[in-house]
This record gives sequence, C-alpha cells and structure tokens, in this order.
Amino acid sequence: MNRMNKQTKWGVTVISVIAGFMLAVQFQTMRSPKLKDNRDAWELRSSILDEQQKQSKILAETTRLEHQLENYDVKQNTGKEQALKQTLAELKREAGLTETAGGGILIRISPLKEAELLGEDFHSISPDLLRRLINELNMYGADSISINGQRVINNTVIRDINGEPKIDGYSLKNYPIEIKADAEDAQSLYDRMKVSEIIEQFFVDNLNVEISSPIKNLVIPAYKNKLEIDGMEPSEQDEKGDS
Amino acid sequence: MWLPIFGLIVGVFLGLMTDIRIPAEYSNYLSIAVLAALDTLIGGMRAYLQNLYDERVFVSGFFFNIILAASLAFLGVHLGVDLYLAAVFAFGVRLFQNIAVIRRILLAKWSKSPEKSL
Repeated sequence: MNRMNKQTKWGVTVISVIAGFMLAVQFQTMRSPKLKDNRDAWELRSSILDEQQKQSKILAETTRLEHQLENYDVKQNTGKEQALKQTLAELKREAGLTETAGGGILIRISPLKEAELLGEDFHSISPDLLRRLINELNMYGADSISINGQRVINNTVIRDINGEPKIDGYSLKNYPIEIKADAEDAQSLYDRMKVSEIIEQFFVDNLNVEISSPIKNLVIPAYKNKLEIDGMEPSEQDEKGDS
Repeated sequence: MWLPIFGLIVGVFLGLMTDIRIPAEYSNYLSIAVLAALDTLIGGMRAYLQNLYDERVFVSGFFFNIILAASLAFLGVHLGVDLYLAAVFAFGVRLFQNIAVIRRILLAKWSKSPEKSL
C-alpha cells in the first residue's frame, strides 16, 4: 500500500469535511418539518366557520345571479324592461344610491374628556384612521356605512383640507362623529368591532369610541352627491339591436 | 486512511451544529450535489487502493461533478424534464461499482495477509 503524502492527505480531508458538511445540511433540511400547522382546535374551528360563511355567501351570490340569468332568459321578450329595471335598482343599491335600513351598529367618536381636562391638545380626527375604521367595518361584514349622514361609497373621499377632515367635501368638525354601519349579521359586526384594535388607535389620538349594541332598524342615507364617472361612456347603440 | 473519515465526521458534526437549513426549493440541488460528492469520495478511495490516485483528478472531479450535477438538475427543472434522475442514476451506478471494487480489493488484501491486518 503506498502512503499518501501529507499534502494529499490534507486535500482529501478538506474535501471530506466539505462533503460531510453538505450531507449534514441536506439531512437537516429534509428533516425540518414543513411549516407546522400549530393552530389549536378553536382557531381551526373558527377558520372552518369563516370558510363556511364564505361558501354560503358565494352560494347565495350564485343563486342570485342564476335567478337573474333566468330572468333574462325567460322574460327576454315579455319582461325585458322589468329585468333591466330590477338590475338597475340592484346596481343602484349596491352603489349606495338608495337609502337602506336594517340591523346595524352606531359608532360614536368624541374627544376624550380626560384629555380635555389635562389640557392636552386635541387634533381633529385623522383621515387615515377613519379610513382604517371603514376598512375594518367592511372587513367584518358591514354592507353600508355612513359618517355623519354622509354615505360612504366606493369613491368616497376622506381627506384633510386645510387641516380640516372632510368626507366628500362635508366637514367632520362637529363632535360626536356618528358612524352608522349596517350588516346582515349586526351582532357579529358588533362583537368584532368591540374587540378591534382600532379603538385603541383612536384612544391614542385622544378620541373616545363608543359602539352601540346592535340596533334593529338603522337607516343609512343614500349618497347625496352626483356620481362622477370619468373615463367611462355609454357604448354606441347598435342600430339593429341584436342581442 | 483514517484522516478522511475523521474529516467526514467533523463535517457532519459541523453541519449539524451550525443548524443551517437551505430553502426547500434548493434541496433538490443539494441532494444531487451530495450524491456527486459521495461518488467522488468513494471513487477517490478506490483509485487510492488501486494506486491510480491523482490528487488533481480527485479535487477537480469533486467540484466539477458537483457543479455538473447541480446544473443538470437546474436545466431539468427549467426544461420540465427530470434530468436530475440522469445524475442520480449515473452516480448511483458508479457508487455501487466503486464500492464493489473497494470491497474486492480489501478482501483480496485481507486474504493475502490475514495475520497482518487482523
């Protein structure tokens, strides 16, 4: 058996170390668990519930759309106008152009009394915070929302104009600010808002948030301004009127 | 002879101690590289026992095989063909062959001079 010279020996050893290292890394990578699902039974249950709710909502939506399709198909000759009117009404309702009434909650935002007593400066409500509140409400299933009687729709603008928070041009200077939100399940909206972190965010801004328990018949006004749609125009009518 | 084995153990120990994990999508490449490395090591051992050992061949073979295997796997992923199987096959066959040769050489040595090795 020939003897390795010293340099060769060390070369082989270094390579063995590298190979061993690679082996160990690969071994460890394969052994590491694949993103453990460590939710407990309750969390799983609630996520199942969420998914089920989503499913039933989607199913309801499908049924509604199928109905609509049927309406179009069946009444194409007789009730075409009726179907169109119905769609128009529905779209108007979805766009927030009609008054709605239903179960919902009333949120009242007022300056914190303690802060006033302490003489802390009170700044007006921040539009960002308000927007977040609206997002939160939408997230928890609110169907329509109004702020101080101004309906919040998709193109509602909430911003500071000269240091004054405004919603669609209406000032939000007078407190308390009343936010109405209605939802199919007002109780769940109430419960979720009650524990929402956003309330603490308002507290940081020296604002107090009161959430009323669910009100049975909450009326949310229609959007008052004119809807301005830029970059959209009716397509040219087809003379033959084929469908 | 024992130094490389000791090196291997040190490498495994280091790897386990440092707790390095690579992302799952690269583990394919590493697995094939490990196979290439093992193949080269065993091949080197065989060559050494057959007195054919050349350090340059060994060291270059080690890195070249690893790179080739990984790039083959990479190409396979991008072509949608499991090309890494080719490397697995080639290295696997060679591993077995080399180990068989090593076994034979060692057996022959032991049977020639049993009193010396025992």
